[in-house]
Amino acid sequence: MSKKIALPRRRFLGGAGAVAAAAVAAPAILKYRGALAQDKPQELIVRAWGGVWVDSLNAGVSQPFSEATGIPVRHDLTEDNEIRPKIWAAVDQGRVPPIHVNWDTTTNATKSAVRGVSEDLSGLPNLDGLLPLAQPAGLEGWPLVNTYSYVYVLAYRDEAFPDGAPDSWQVMVDPKFKGRVAIYDDGIGFIPAAQVAGGGTLEDIPDNMEPAWAFFEKLKANGPLLGEDPDFTNWFQNGEIDVACTIISNARAAKQNGIPVSWTVPKEGADLETDGMWIPRGLPENELHWAKEYVNFALSPEGQQVWCNGLGLPPVRPGLEPPADLVADPAYPTTEADLKLLLRVPTPVLVEHESDWFARVNEIMQG
Amino acid sequence: MAEGRRPTALGRWEVWRRRLWPERALPLSPWLLLLPALLLTSSLAAALVVIGESSLHLLDRATFRLGEAYSLGNYAELLQRPVYLRIIGRTALAAAIVTAITVALAIPYGYLMVRTAGAGLRKLLLIGLFLPFFLGQVIRAYGWLIVLGKHGLLNAGLTGLGLPDVALIYTYPGVLIGLVQYMLPFAVLLLAPAFTAIPEELELASMSLGGRAWPTFWHIVLPLAKPGWIAAGVVVFTLTMTDFAMPEMMGGGGNDFIANAIYDGFFQLSDAGLGSALAIVLTALGTLAVAVVFTAIGVGTLGYIQSGSAGAAR
Repeated sequence: MSKKIALPRRRFLGGAGAVAAAAVAAPAILKYRGALAQDKPQELIVRAWGGVWVDSLNAGVSQPFSEATGIPVRHDLTEDNEIRPKIWAAVDQGRVPPIHVNWDTTTNATKSAVRGVSEDLSGLPNLDGLLPLAQPAGLEGWPLVNTYSYVYVLAYRDEAFPDGAPDSWQVMVDPKFKGRVAIYDDGIGFIPAAQVAGGGTLEDIPDNMEPAWAFFEKLKANGPLLGEDPDFTNWFQNGEIDVACTIISNARAAKQNGIPVSWTVPKEGADLETDGMWIPRGLPENELHWAKEYVNFALSPEGQQVWCNGLGLPPVRPGLEPPADLVADPAYPTTEADLKLLLRVPTPVLVEHESDWFARVNEIMQG
Repeated sequence: MAEGRRPTALGRWEVWRRRLWPERALPLSPWLLLLPALLLTSSLAAALVVIGESSLHLLDRATFRLGEAYSLGNYAELLQRPVYLRIIGRTALAAAIVTAITVALAIPYGYLMVRTAGAGLRKLLLIGLFLPFFLGQVIRAYGWLIVLGKHGLLNAGLTGLGLPDVALIYTYPGVLIGLVQYMLPFAVLLLAPAFTAIPEELELASMSLGGRAWPTFWHIVLPLAKPGWIAAGVVVFTLTMTDFAMPEMMGGGGNDFIANAIYDGFFQLSDAGLGSALAIVLTALGTLAVAVVFTAIGVGTLGYIQSGSAGAAR
């Protein structure tokens, strides 16, 4: 009887000893394994926008990067505004952030840099030779890098304008198109245009924005739809709208998909902005290394060529071939003359005031 | 245990049960079973305290962090900006309208589902009740976009009949339609047990005394089903007050509810203080509304306290 009991007890003690030894040794083993995996993480997670945006990034950057390094790239399509507080919270709490690379608007990326949650990208080899537009404004070093510029164009349904493109943003407040106009739900991209179309000047921003708000009031009376990138495509496709202020990439993607849509830069000009990439702080060293390699690859000539041509946007790497369908298009600015037609609000002004402007647009549109 | 007899499985279990949970601890059993639910709700309450604390700090635009100093500035902003009062009013009005319509539609649906003698009809009604649960709210909202869209099924039908088309999509009435459809199954589910609990003999007795169907329903069934329609009303009201997806997808951007404004505060404006203040206001409004109902009608109407027992409810 006692033998029967003694044997399992020994086994138990032996097993328990092995478990205890494993528990003691586990950190060392894991550290060793971590050291082995120092060079390559299991995957890189890159936040991106959906549709043509992620398709272009994948074709131009993620896929070639994976082929070259063997590291799979996963795209996280969480909205840029939604991922931001998650990253901020992770960095504040000392947790590993949920993504490796954030593809973001320059304004949002600058807010994160101001908050101190971004890694410095100085020293990336492919920062050399970029256009001055690539460098973040009003910040020390490179907590982000701008990757291309883009224009918020006046997109229109061809059937609604048989005589040709509208030449002014005033078409947005034309009662003829009541209920058939659209802008972004926070007014982004339309605020500078509204300022000029409302009789003000770009130089008045941010001190006197009344012309812009007056124009938004008129727009509100015209029953606009308010949405995000994918909404514009759906609305044009379903015949819900005739005109919209949207990023050229969305209008171009719709056209390439057979939706009869065109775009123009009206005589008042159109908002020019930039997007960029940044890396949140708090990544393990090896993951940070490869996240930087990813951003570096996104700035390479081959990466920029395919990625930006897919989006129909001018890259920050000079000397690349523009897409054939956008040559000489004022919404694809490549010369000083092109840039003069466009409206550019300095990033520091956007960072400081954009939230107030969004709140003001919201106040008008929810009235 | 008798010498030489092996204990049964039940006996062994009883021995272990007494060792682990002695007789004197048995009165604690209900509280132990309640503990997980209490922990869950108390953790939510703790989160609410954190949100309340955040609402008392203003955003510092120089660092995009909440400032250290305590302030009521976020609440002042909610009062000073008419847009927030408009959104709160729009949400409360929607909750009232949707509750009234939903409960009114759920009562005949639930009654018929419980009382019908036809098995086929009951199955059909049950399928109609549960099918929407298999579709998420977002899919249902998308379905409404297809039905109510400019060239949707509704307008195609109207145009086919030679009638003018209607613009319901991206309007306030459109949001209300979507919400009523979303809330109806919840209301029916809450009403069905109340109708089931009413003995059918009561209705037969009423009719045998000369009462016709409608007076019987009005004077006998509805009062006895009060716990059901009060519960349905409270649930539909609070769910509508806090809804996000329907106004987001069907409102066209111009018909936001409080939940949408909270989202904008947290995510679009990066202002956790303002978003938290709105969240506290929403919680307070919902709590107030439910408290008013319970005060006016009594929690006993929900069947929690049976009449006849000590401290019977109203």
